[in-house]
Amino acid sequence: MSRPTLIKRLPRRSFLRQGAALGLGASAIARLFAEDTVTLPFLNGERSLVKYPQKRPLIRLTTRPPQLETPFGVFNESLLTPNDAFFVRYHLTNSPPRAELLQPEQFRLTVKGKVSTTLTLSVEELKTRFENAEVIAVNQCSGNSRGFFQPRVPGGQLGHGAMGCARWRGVRLADVLKAAAPEATAKQVIFNGLDTPFVPQTPDFLKAIAVDQALDPELLLAFEMNGEPLPWLNGFPLRLVVPGYYGTYWVKHLNEITVVDDEFKGFWMNPAYRIPDEPCGAIDPGTTPKRTIPITRFNVRSFITSLEEGATLKAGAVTPLRGIAFDDGHGIREVLVSADGGRSWRAAELGKQVDKYAFREWTMPFTPERAGKLTFIAKATNRLGQSQPMEPLWNPSGYMRNCVEPVNVLVA
Amino acid sequence: MRTAQLIPLLFAGAVGVLVSFGEVPVEPVKNPFVADELKLPPEKPALKLAAGVERVTGNCLLCHSSEYVTTQPPLLRAQWTATVEKMRGKFGATIPTNQVPAIVDYLTANYGNESPPK
Repeated sequence: MSRPTLIKRLPRRSFLRQGAALGLGASAIARLFAEDTVTLPFLNGERSLVKYPQKRPLIRLTTRPPQLETPFGVFNESLLTPNDAFFVRYHLTNSPPRAELLQPEQFRLTVKGKVSTTLTLSVEELKTRFENAEVIAVNQCSGNSRGFFQPRVPGGQLGHGAMGCARWRGVRLADVLKAAAPEATAKQVIFNGLDTPFVPQTPDFLKAIAVDQALDPELLLAFEMNGEPLPWLNGFPLRLVVPGYYGTYWVKHLNEITVVDDEFKGFWMNPAYRIPDEPCGAIDPGTTPKRTIPITRFNVRSFITSLEEGATLKAGAVTPLRGIAFDDGHGIREVLVSADGGRSWRAAELGKQVDKYAFREWTMPFTPERAGKLTFIAKATNRLGQSQPMEPLWNPSGYMRNCVEPVNVLVA
Repeated sequence: MRTAQLIPLLFAGAVGVLVSFGEVPVEPVKNPFVADELKLPPEKPALKLAAGVERVTGNCLLCHSSEYVTTQPPLLRAQWTATVEKMRGKFGATIPTNQVPAIVDYLTANYGNESPPK
């Protein structure tokens, strides 16, 4: 199986050549020059690279609401994804919320519902009243890599760039909930942010988790990302951080926490963001699931970040291979690397585990012996023994892709 | 520095002092995350000009930009139909029933496949 993995950046010059070869006029060529473009390696994968506030040019999936993907090369530069390169995903038309609503004088978090004390807190009050805590954790969109599904499925056609790893700083959700004191009958906690739909009949973006999970000290109400206030497009001034869980739970611009004594049945919990109730959330390609359950934790993934699809290596020269691996917090135990499409494997050296929820770096020096084609594959296993399938799994929503991602190179 | 240039500067300084200590409240420290430069880039609708495009523009693009259509893989007529019905049923899009066929026709003809590829 050869599946291109890395985003291939088309240099401007190649556009010029293509334009000239097609006999396009000067104005058509000028249009091609107007925006930098990337082509994700699947049908209809042409995207613009666009600069947004507090962001470097990112791969734009949609304009309204904004959805931006991290160019894959960023993952080879550092284990922490810089704030200005971190992916952006919204659901509702009025996103991000207007900056005025997020100012310190305006913004308040309310904790209400089945609690003995309703709380209304500014971010400053949160910071000073509760102990601050940090986690280095991956946030990944449920639909990261959806564009690679075969057969293709409707939805945001993402490459591998709807993920990132950051140092999140905030206060523990558990501490704030305890201050509000949920009633004995409390069952779930609902999270709402300030993003709103265009028409009121569109379901507001609300996510729910069980009270027991909400009281887990690992969940944070984060106000900082990599040592800075959250960027506007990543949830300023406050977002939920649920380490090991898909990004759908990491509610941005979080201003309302509601404790309820029944099961929340809103659209974004059901029917949205659900996977087949089957092992690995997978069913036969093209079929319909019998029963579904909410998507929850990450599966194991790994990537080669130092090689682009189609790269040329020099025979006899040492090539330092590098990449990342992560899971839902059990921790990566092993990364194996193959240079022959999976026939033989060698263990890569694992970098330091900076946090069990963080990207784990792996490295392996490799010397191609002779000219020809090579297919590199990285495959990670976590401490539970969970690993990555060699062939893609399928579900109708395009969630949770985690098969190995081969990279083909030429040795000259 | 010439005197002519100094005079406006002195003036500005005096005004500044007056504002800071006078009746006018001191402006709060500007939060860099709500500053004026937080402007989103403009939207450029880019739907193919073909029969029915005005119905898509007039209905679908109220809630989302055109890439929600244009970046999809070629979806089958049944998938586009399901998508339009999801927008009406689940997302509350107010697309009149009599406009649905024209919208599905447009989406299938320009961003889809009539039948599965052989």
